[in-house]
Amino acid sequence: MASKTKKQIGKVANWILTFVLMLVIGLPGLWVVLTAFRPNREILAKPAIWIPEKLSLDNFGKIFGYGVDQIAIPVPSYFANSLIISLTSTAIALLIGMSGGYAFARFRFKRKNGYFLALMLSRTVPGIALSLPIFMVWSRLGLIDTKMGMIIIYVALNIPFTIWLIDGFFRQIPKEMSEAAQVDGCTRWQAFWKIEFPLAKSGVASAGIFAFLTSWNEYALASQLTRSTDSKTLPVGLMDFTAQFTIDWAGMSAMAVIIIVPALILTFLVQKHLIAGLTFGGVKG
Amino acid sequence: MKLTSMKALVSGVALSVFAFGSTSAQEFDYGSFEGYTLRVKLIGGAQYEPLYAVISRWEEMTGASVNILSRKNHFELDREIKQDIAAGTLNWCVGSNHTSFAPQYGGIYMDLNEVIGDDVLAGFQSLALANSTVDGRLVQLPRHSDVSNLFYLKSLFEDADNQTAFKAEYGYDLTPPETWDQFKDMAIFFADAPTFYGTQYVGKDEAITGRFYEMLVANGGALFDADWNPTFNSAAGVESVQWFKDLYDAKAVPAGVLNYLWDDTGLGFASGTIAMNLDWAGWASFFNDPENSQIAGNIGLVRAPVGSGGLRSGWAGSHTFSITETCDNSAAAASFITFLTSAENQMIEARNGLLPTRGRVWDDVIAEFDAAGNEFMVNVFETYAVSMAEDAFTPPLIAPWIEVSNEIWPRLQAAILGEMGIQEALDEAADAARLVMEDAGYL
Amino acid sequence: MSIVSVQPRRKSRRDWTPALLLSPAFLVLIFVVLVPLLFSLYTSFTNYRLIRPDSLYEWIGLRNYQRIFTDSKFWAAFGRTIIFLTLALNLEFIFGLGIALLINKITWGQRTLRTIMMFPMMFSPILVGYQFKFIFNDNIGLLNNALQSLGIGDGAIAWLVDKPLGMFTIIFAEVWMSTSVFAILLLAGLFAMPRDPLEAAKVDGCNSWQVFRHITLPFLMPFAFIAMTIRSLDVARAYDIVDVMTGGGPANRTELLWTMIARVGYDNSRMGQANAMAYVSILLSIAFTYYFFTKLIAARKYMGGAE
Repeated sequence: MASKTKKQIGKVANWILTFVLMLVIGLPGLWVVLTAFRPNREILAKPAIWIPEKLSLDNFGKIFGYGVDQIAIPVPSYFANSLIISLTSTAIALLIGMSGGYAFARFRFKRKNGYFLALMLSRTVPGIALSLPIFMVWSRLGLIDTKMGMIIIYVALNIPFTIWLIDGFFRQIPKEMSEAAQVDGCTRWQAFWKIEFPLAKSGVASAGIFAFLTSWNEYALASQLTRSTDSKTLPVGLMDFTAQFTIDWAGMSAMAVIIIVPALILTFLVQKHLIAGLTFGGVKG
Repeated sequence: MKLTSMKALVSGVALSVFAFGSTSAQEFDYGSFEGYTLRVKLIGGAQYEPLYAVISRWEEMTGASVNILSRKNHFELDREIKQDIAAGTLNWCVGSNHTSFAPQYGGIYMDLNEVIGDDVLAGFQSLALANSTVDGRLVQLPRHSDVSNLFYLKSLFEDADNQTAFKAEYGYDLTPPETWDQFKDMAIFFADAPTFYGTQYVGKDEAITGRFYEMLVANGGALFDADWNPTFNSAAGVESVQWFKDLYDAKAVPAGVLNYLWDDTGLGFASGTIAMNLDWAGWASFFNDPENSQIAGNIGLVRAPVGSGGLRSGWAGSHTFSITETCDNSAAAASFITFLTSAENQMIEARNGLLPTRGRVWDDVIAEFDAAGNEFMVNVFETYAVSMAEDAFTPPLIAPWIEVSNEIWPRLQAAILGEMGIQEALDEAADAARLVMEDAGYL
Repeated sequence: MSIVSVQPRRKSRRDWTPALLLSPAFLVLIFVVLVPLLFSLYTSFTNYRLIRPDSLYEWIGLRNYQRIFTDSKFWAAFGRTIIFLTLALNLEFIFGLGIALLINKITWGQRTLRTIMMFPMMFSPILVGYQFKFIFNDNIGLLNNALQSLGIGDGAIAWLVDKPLGMFTIIFAEVWMSTSVFAILLLAGLFAMPRDPLEAAKVDGCNSWQVFRHITLPFLMPFAFIAMTIRSLDVARAYDIVDVMTGGGPANRTELLWTMIARVGYDNSRMGQANAMAYVSILLSIAFTYYFFTKLIAARKYMGGAE
């Protein structure tokens, strides 16, 4: 009996601790969301106004140009740019990642670890150090301020991690399965798509969500290489709310909500695959 | 430069443009550039964008179209322009510019005297034009100017208890400060940390360098001597830094000021927790707008304080437009920036509190606010008109200004925080600034 | 993988198939990373200034490196960056582990909890910077307002300015943003954990701490090192946060290599010198990543797993 109450206490303590941690994680973000619906006057009040007196969509209206003296921020084109760039680069990174991950998982070749490490290290270069050299090369190629230019960069940013995840996943799939299929007359290509790919789907999905979030939120390079509505992405658009002297924090928060919501929905949908994918194919039993 | 003399300088063209109101814009011939696409990079942000709504009118008049390649805040735009210089991608015509930034860009912008007529230029305040000139070339056309004055909470100064208590403690009357020393006394007097502060200052980047610089001048010092040797580690320099440090040590400013920029000081004052705030004219209408500000209706304004050298501080600058040397149609570009800085269009910005660069617009905007019974804005423009005419000066218009500033401000912070002695910090900054000036070929 | 299939007729194909499969990845990376890096390596030996394009050809040998190596401010920033990386990565690991262990125990509503846990991953670093800049503002910031309302402390704490607190706040923001990555990877590791050893240990009379110490933790270590490696890869994302929150100030108290590089390169236009600094920072990142990577390989070997 005693051990049962102890267990109960443990459970409650577990819940409370989880709740506190979730609060720390959730509160700063929720505060941004709340700010999006409040007027500047309330946000900046001192002493603070804890319980919102007035919630409205005014800040969102301002973004789209409703109201006096407001120039609309071209959110629809930023949104479209972000979506096109993130989705395309994620798709390409996944294809390249599958091909590379498969190579690492299924083949033996010289200096394999060296190649693998080289791939990973390519990601360690800080964006701020890359921004100018890339700019110089891109300007020669006419890729400045184009979606294509950003897509290529994000593919490169996401390849290392994608290969890593997918490599780990393919390794967990017993080689015998595809070999059996090949004995049955499938080509290696067919065996891959029929046997190995379906089993690795969660791995690919989780690599995908990481790649998508990286591209969706990237700022350091995008801020240097995008310039107009042709290619400017949502995070770069956040800076439209800053001027020499002012930061429109309410407007920025409203824009932040527009950025966060699609990512949140996508993550929630891919949740199931995500955990499964990240266990590196941890097949139990 | 007296404001009254400015009126005489206003050209007939500018007069007629304004006198006939919005329909008269066609009176000035902006030319015809049928089918041409003008590529421009403009400063973005809430204060600057209302003007861009009129761009479509210029397009209608001239048949050209405008392609806004970028719309960013000035620090971002600065990076972008430098990248363009580096990569040789100056394939655009008009760029927003600023008097403090312009000297760095060297020869990429053309001398506007070649493409804009004297009759048009005559409409601008000559001081604004002089400040827009680098190495004898008019590389930019001023759009609006800016200088700081002292906003304060009226109720605090009107309060009888405050008046008696202040007089008892400091021995003189509590009226809005005239000198930097009085400013300091009153800031310390009003402060009641952590809920209320006497004043605040911007604490990093070029912002604090600028504040230090204007106080240095007001105290009788100078950044450089005639041969570009750094001289700001003088007694006047120490006196200026001491002012910042005293307020910081007395907790008369918020403890976080060293991380503040203009948005923090502006929003802080609007929150009603700051007694006095030296700030730019562009904030005036924000401060007095009950939607945004807790202190609307309770704001007084006086000119910036006088230093021990007998001068008022008046760090000023102008937002401007420039045309690239590589522009493929400088006539269209000149027409465009002439249009954006016309008297009529400067009124758009003036109504929001930005300071016009045409003498005529000052009178018109004051008359308009007067007619609308907006005493506060009338006071704002009248006060700022005097300081623009009598106090305004720019930082040295030299290419390494920002670089020199980046050597100065971290040491100012170190001195204010007490990590270094004031003289020691200024000496070190002067040595570093000397190195920068040597590298840039000035020494 | 220990199993090597023996199918001699395919042997000849194996020599070039992996090369073919890997070529797209390497091509993209050479194009986007290596070529620009070679360019910036070259400029680090020149007096390259952004606003004077012809200075690209002014070869000055090692002078940029000499200047930064003799600059005490550079070394201070270098040391601060190491402290920042070490503290941030370790705290992220500890918190991530804690969160993963807690959530693993909860059965009801776990999917929602997992989504909340991943909430910060939806935030762009630039947004995280502004968010915490406003939260930690000393006068009208959320945190000080809350402390004042609750009557805790004397109120105005200069979070972004005070000496240890400035570093604390930027590390806090970084940890807030990135702990999720650790938590999700470690949670995945917990899910993959075989039940048998746990039950066997309990039967043998081990208490929960012993189980955790000797079974759970060793099993999780590869996942931890994977997370460490992944995080050390793109930890420079923190530049966006720091730049917005403090810009490296005041008096260089929060100056990291990245903020220094940006200021020297763009604001001062000294791109050659900035690229010399960038090379030092790249070597630092490589060292961190290499360290975790070797740990990872070792942990995998210990597990008797792959490679």
